[in-house]
Amino acid sequence: MINRRHVLIGGALTAGSVLSAPSVLAQGKPKVVVIGGGAGGATAAKYIAKDSKGEIEVTLIEPKEAYTTCFHSNLYLGGFKTFDEITHKYDKLVSTYGIKHVRQWANAIDRDKKQVVLADGSRVPYDRLVVSPGIDLKYDSVAGWGKEHEEVMPHAWQAGPQTQILKKQLDAVKDGQTVVMIAPPNPYRCPPGPYERVSMMAHALKSSGRGKARIIILDPKESFSKQGLFQQAWEKYYPGLVEWLGPKVHDGIKSVDPKTMTVTTGFETYKNCALVNVIPAQRAGKIVIDAGLANQTGFCPINPENMASQTDPNIFILGDASIAGDMPKSGFAANSQAKVAALMIRGELTKSRTFPARYANTCWSLVAPDDTVKVGGRYEPKPDKITAAETFLSKLDETPEHRKQVQTENIGWYAGITADMFT
Amino acid sequence: MTGRGPRFLPKVIAAAALLPAMAMFAAGTLAQDKPKPKGDAAFGEYLSSLCVTCHQPTGKAVGGIPPIVAWPEDQFVAVVNSYRWKERDNEVMQTVTAQLTDEEIAALAAYFGGLPNQPDVAK
Repeated sequence: MINRRHVLIGGALTAGSVLSAPSVLAQGKPKVVVIGGGAGGATAAKYIAKDSKGEIEVTLIEPKEAYTTCFHSNLYLGGFKTFDEITHKYDKLVSTYGIKHVRQWANAIDRDKKQVVLADGSRVPYDRLVVSPGIDLKYDSVAGWGKEHEEVMPHAWQAGPQTQILKKQLDAVKDGQTVVMIAPPNPYRCPPGPYERVSMMAHALKSSGRGKARIIILDPKESFSKQGLFQQAWEKYYPGLVEWLGPKVHDGIKSVDPKTMTVTTGFETYKNCALVNVIPAQRAGKIVIDAGLANQTGFCPINPENMASQTDPNIFILGDASIAGDMPKSGFAANSQAKVAALMIRGELTKSRTFPARYANTCWSLVAPDDTVKVGGRYEPKPDKITAAETFLSKLDETPEHRKQVQTENIGWYAGITADMFT
Repeated sequence: MTGRGPRFLPKVIAAAALLPAMAMFAAGTLAQDKPKPKGDAAFGEYLSSLCVTCHQPTGKAVGGIPPIVAWPEDQFVAVVNSYRWKERDNEVMQTVTAQLTDEEIAALAAYFGGLPNQPDVAK
């Protein structure tokens, strides 16, 4: 029963006798620097520090003291979670695993010198760099809207103050008023996210006596993730409250006017909207684009076997910024990719055992109280891309008991992944 | 132990014998007087990273995600097999266990079986 895995394990045996510092590295402990403390970066930093047991010096560059998760931020909008419950501090990564948390913005990557340039001009050298910067928003992708309008027409697609602004605006919507969501084009962070958000906004409105409000989704896409499941749920729970318009119907999103809260499409003009949630087009975080690690799509090609950049083998790119083949841009996916990268980086720096990459993802979406649907799969590295090996999707005819059970999974998963990232 | 258990038992031991790294962890338990499968806990620790996205390694249970630490290994193997063979009904578990080999499940059973159940320990 000799297979590829055993060959790889065998390769590690020679290292057992020479576990001391590899001679190929500069003097001292090998250094890993991680840019970005989200699902990819926090997980990678933790696993490299935990599993190398002090053999690798790990630095996490992340300006924030605490991280608000995008995942479950819709549950905050729906009134199912508090803001504190979706916000997590980094202190345990420092106290438990000895990770150095540098609270600065990483401005640039100097690939020739293998250094990260911080906002204050100082430089942090690395032997391997993990970059998990998430997405940047294309502020010029919706005519009439820009960064200066994000407090009037929030995106809330990077969790934090934006999420709170959106909640405040939702709370202020009056019965009978109109809410417009402009959904993003592919590819974007969290494919079911806009539609779970609409479900939670509809729940918040209906359950507070504002059932005559309406939510219009203007979508540049012909179809979307879990579409049948979401549309069935909207019909069942929020009839007349939610209306999805694809591009053939709305004939293009022409412009928005934040001053008059107007949204103009080729089909209709929506005036005096109570809330306009603009989720624009997206690309990888600026730092990887500036470093020449992204291609013309705005995202970064990676090696499916280890998440290393196809451009620079000393840099690993995780999560939303990467082109991860069949894997969606999700927190679960970034967490899964981080564990593969951590394993491979330790193998390169300390000759620890490595095994073939395995990836997994599940995205749960709450559509109404005690009614959750899910989509997911497991993925394998193939030469051209990370490829789905097996996938699943909730069915339209599931029992209420089943959907309620799936919601308990969703709650348990959130507790699990945040413990995995931050403790 | 399920009825299917004995089918893979010799294979696990044979495979384990090919892994010199095993000597560090479990060689003693592979002696003939202990017929129970004993997986490679270090290999299990790597594989476990897929599980702990949902199942907390402290044994803390939240919502519908049950604790999976400190179980008897044969019970752990039987439960994982029940998902792998799609006898139990959970899409996430069926999907993540589908590709696991007998050896890998034994390794996971050894790793999680060796973790203390301490759900209230603040890390």
